[in-house]
Amino acid sequence: MKLHIPIDLMNRIRAHGEAAYPEEGAGFLLGRVEGERRFLMSILPAENSREEAARGNRYLLLPREVLRAEESAQRLGLDLVGIFHSHPDHPAQASEFDREWAMPWFSYLITSVQDGKAGETRSWRLSDDRAGFVEEEIRMETEITESRSR
Amino acid sequence: MTTLKIPSPLRPFTDGKAQLEVRSGTVSGALDELVAAFPQLKTHLFTESGELRAFVNLFVNDENVRDLYGPDTQLKPGDSLMILPSIAGGTPLQTVDHAALRTNQAFIIGISIAAYVSDAPWLAGIAGLAMLVGTLLKVPAFAFVYRRWLRGWLKPDVLTDNMEPHRFAQGFGAVVQLLGLALLAGGAPVAGWALVWLVIFLAAINLFVGFCAGCMVYYWLNRLHVPGFVKAPPDGTFPGLRPKAG
Repeated sequence: MKLHIPIDLMNRIRAHGEAAYPEEGAGFLLGRVEGERRFLMSILPAENSREEAARGNRYLLLPREVLRAEESAQRLGLDLVGIFHSHPDHPAQASEFDREWAMPWFSYLITSVQDGKAGETRSWRLSDDRAGFVEEEIRMETEITESRSR
Repeated sequence: MTTLKIPSPLRPFTDGKAQLEVRSGTVSGALDELVAAFPQLKTHLFTESGELRAFVNLFVNDENVRDLYGPDTQLKPGDSLMILPSIAGGTPLQTVDHAALRTNQAFIIGISIAAYVSDAPWLAGIAGLAMLVGTLLKVPAFAFVYRRWLRGWLKPDVLTDNMEPHRFAQGFGAVVQLLGLALLAGGAPVAGWALVWLVIFLAAINLFVGFCAGCMVYYWLNRLHVPGFVKAPPDGTFPGLRPKAG
């Protein structure tokens, strides 16, 4: 299991988490799938629909937004491969709450944001029996070209 | 026949199919058909007790079945039924050992009552200073007693909870207690002891009833979007009440 991320997309994901601080920021990951490898090609930052008071430690993406993300992915000829979100003042580790709500197969890319500065970013996938998360290796790429990902 | 649309994260369990045809005349029947064909999907769509998972939303022709007749919603030939997840997640709540908090409250109550009984304002001052130092160090002031000596005797009571509201509550107690000390030193014993007793009272309802008034104030400030008060109460917990175990 590997998630290949171009540096510029990684920078945007981390900046999104910093901009949302002290609230959680989240969005969709779009890319191509090649067996157990995923190549990130685009991101769609999303609106956190959680009631305002809880946005410090929760995010919620509504089904209609998920549908929009699926449609965008289809338009671009990509797959919706996962979700990115930030953990303000917490490690980049998937939580019990994340597990209860997790979709199978998706990559959950989590960035820890400490005092407004993005720290570690790690990626997780739910195991098929929903018992826990398995860490997915992140590979940074200077650039992912069409040919590289096919 | 109804077209059933599968979201991308569930497609690995439907042999990669993005849509399927189902025969059933109801939404629940269509889901049964789906799970019968692809049994691996069951654990992702339903909880162990057989209820639909909270993140599973079903749309018939763009309308959420929650706004129609739920799982009993009828399907006509040509309808489309779509499974759409809502996606949620977030920071883990910290765990807080409430046995350490209760030890702290017991010491604050004990020392403050001893101060009143022996008419020793300095003793109330020591409790106030300890709370202030604890707040600055981000620990319950007398939790060290629990950690060092009481752990074998007192059962730990580790609950999923936020630490910040408890810290705020202790800081609030410190300010009231030290204000009381200032009044005592300034020759206003009635007002001074009244403030000390206020701290005793609030610590006591926390200790005996499990209600933290300072935490409730913290969560109100969170609701009013006051900067710095970023934590919301644990899900399903009334602001200030001790969270349920489990």
